Amino acid sequence: MFDSIETVQRNLGEQGYICGKNIATVVYLAHRLEKPVLVEGPAGVGKTELAKVVAEATGRPLIRLQCYEGLDEAKALYEWEYSKQLLYTQILKEKFSEAMAGAKTLREAAERIGAEDSIFFSDRFIVPRPLLRAITSPSPALLLVDEVDKSDPEFEAFLLEVLSDFQVTVPEVGTFSAKVRPLVFLTSNDAREMTDALKRRCLHLYIDFPTEEEELRILDVKVPGVDRRLAEDLVGVMQRLRKLDLKKTPSISETIDWARALLALNAAQIDEALVRETLNVILKYEGDIRKAHSELGRLIVRKAEAPPKPAAPAPSAATPASGEATPGAQPVGPAAPAPPKKGTLH
Amino acid sequence: MQKKIVEFTNLLRKSGVRVSVAEAIDAFRALDELSLDDREIFRDAMRSAMVKRSDDIATYDQLFDLFWSGFYDNLRGAFEGMNDELAAQGIDLDQLMRMLQEQLESLEPGSLDLSDLARALLTADLSQLEKLIREAGEQAGIARIENLLQIGFFSRRMMERMNAEGAAQELRDLAARLRAQGLSDDQAEAIRGLADRLLEALRRSVRNFAERELQKQNYDYMERFRRETLTEKSFYHLTEDEIRQMREVVARLAQRIKNVLSIRRRRMQKGKLDLHTTLRRNMARGGVPFEVTFKHRKKDRPKLVILCDVSSSVANVSRFMLQFVYSLQEAFTRIRSFVFVSELGEVTQVFRDHDINDAIEKALDGGDVINVYTRSNFGQAFHGFWQNHLSAVDKRTTVLVLGDARNNYNDPRAWCLREVKNKAKNLVWLNPESPGAWGFGDSVMDRYLPACDVAEECRNLRQLAKVVDRLVL
Repeated sequence: MFDSIETVQRNLGEQGYICGKNIATVVYLAHRLEKPVLVEGPAGVGKTELAKVVAEATGRPLIRLQCYEGLDEAKALYEWEYSKQLLYTQILKEKFSEAMAGAKTLREAAERIGAEDSIFFSDRFIVPRPLLRAITSPSPALLLVDEVDKSDPEFEAFLLEVLSDFQVTVPEVGTFSAKVRPLVFLTSNDAREMTDALKRRCLHLYIDFPTEEEELRILDVKVPGVDRRLAEDLVGVMQRLRKLDLKKTPSISETIDWARALLALNAAQIDEALVRETLNVILKYEGDIRKAHSELGRLIVRKAEAPPKPAAPAPSAATPASGEATPGAQPVGPAAPAPPKKGTLH
Repeated sequence: MQKKIVEFTNLLRKSGVRVSVAEAIDAFRALDELSLDDREIFRDAMRSAMVKRSDDIATYDQLFDLFWSGFYDNLRGAFEGMNDELAAQGIDLDQLMRMLQEQLESLEPGSLDLSDLARALLTADLSQLEKLIREAGEQAGIARIENLLQIGFFSRRMMERMNAEGAAQELRDLAARLRAQGLSDDQAEAIRGLADRLLEALRRSVRNFAERELQKQNYDYMERFRRETLTEKSFYHLTEDEIRQMREVVARLAQRIKNVLSIRRRRMQKGKLDLHTTLRRNMARGGVPFEVTFKHRKKDRPKLVILCDVSSSVANVSRFMLQFVYSLQEAFTRIRSFVFVSELGEVTQVFRDHDINDAIEKALDGGDVINVYTRSNFGQAFHGFWQNHLSAVDKRTTVLVLGDARNNYNDPRAWCLREVKNKAKNLVWLNPESPGAWGFGDSVMDRYLPACDVAEECRNLRQLAKVVDRLVL
């Protein structure tokens, strides 16, 4: 399936995931070396998405384990189904009496029950949780351990066995080893540094904010209806926004949200008023919004100078779109951009 | 190749990137799977196997460039530079080379016995040259290079190892011989000139090699040194640049404390058996307690009241103290901050309205509530606090006072502070002066000491971090 880095890139691209060579390289290596991948990076750059897309591209079922504080063995590995055991005991009560009918002493009765131990501690009563499911899955699976940094440090210890040997030990039953090794992705937002033991077992991938071109391509794929020139302006503003010292830097998901919002508003051009009104789509903190407001001039003014330059080297791609957009945009005041543009866009 | 990778791994370790043996093996395995033609892929593959902390990525990238490339390009640069130089003098190097080649061929084979170096120089065989330089470097023990002053020493030593002087001599001899064989004076002169230049280019390259080696071996050394000294450096002598760097260090420290805190808190949480919840949870199993739940022990987060001297003598301490505390906001239920020089004013609101760095600068500037251009008067400030803000203190409050207690011979009014202490859970005084100076001159620290639960010297980041760490526990 993934027989070279280029095919990885292409396959992921077909699933609508635009990635650079670095991501493709690591995915390819993970596939070849059967090693887990620890994906780190700021929130919203597509870490979880990567795992989903790889699952899709390889046709593996995705098994997802969402980590949170207090996540324990019972939720992640396996759990004994107590109620079912209890139910079985109740129903089988008579059988027990039968089995013990011949027993003369208490000791003998206990021996007999002891011999049947394995009935109660068998696969039958185990509820497999994501980790065990990924290991025992008959077809190769993709295990996504999401936001592993949110879990407790003790939880990492459970993970170690799974990640290095692809096996899970249940004390009462024995060890389950993977027949086919699952592909494992762990994602982390760096809320807490993972232990070295865990890191050593994984390949490491750091996904950063995309470059301007990458972001444009992503926007192209994710929000197909958006006007080329609008997209360029929008990405420009985003790239500059990220340079500000913000509490929460907006990432790709915000860019996509914003593009969708602008599309819904039928905006054809980015101007100060529009940005001011829609800033809350991309910035999630009051302080950040205020800061962006004060920098708004710089975010957009520079952009206003920018268009002539990019328009010159790449007229072939931009002409049809910009040809429509510019005349439509000129007479419109910044206050009421929406109504007159309906016609131009659709 | 393997040797080079191992060498590179060692270099990474030396620069503070932790690479385990298992990870190095992973790197080998990864490279087995790939073609090495693409530099970027090569870099990304090795990085994913060996570098696991995002902080280290920048270090890795720079070292990678230093190690895996560059020198060859540099070598080419040196020799191409020579090319241009000659061209400027009206000598066509290509033509000269061609002529030389012809002449060499015309010599009977065997009579010409050039050393490897001379031959490499003469034919401008850069990869051979690189190999020779590297060998010489190894023989000269260049990996031990430690500081700038040794560059000259090592490059000289390498030149000796390569016998560069000898090679130059050979070239000059060659020129003389060609002259004897009927080359024109001009041409022989040109060849001799060429020999000198080749030697010069070689010397430059060797020096460059030594410089790169120094950078490589000691990458991060200065950086680490600076960071370490910064935490030790007294707040009194910080340049503006250092203040900026310090801010980052404080932010990092705060983050670390935050991380540790969440773990510590969770450990403390488990309490007694919670009978009610246990019964309710196990209803489904007929009340047989399969699942046992425990009560959570509630640990109060402390309330904090900060009294900050913002007179210029302690402004830096106050700055980092405030940054620290506000970076750890979630560790406290409530923080109220007051600043004073002689009168006292509350700046809590300032911190609510502005982002942290702006707020701190504003607060240090008096926060529009006090006049900072007066002389320190601790007595008046404490009296003001006692009079107007004592209600801010209750039995769960920790009061943090920051100041040097240099009172300009005013009335210390220590009783105000005592009253505050009686109401508070804790009163902590941080003084940027060392205990030896307390009570001398116009310092009234000795008068305030009885009113403090803890009084500590705090004049660098390490001490500050220690105090803050204790506060949040």
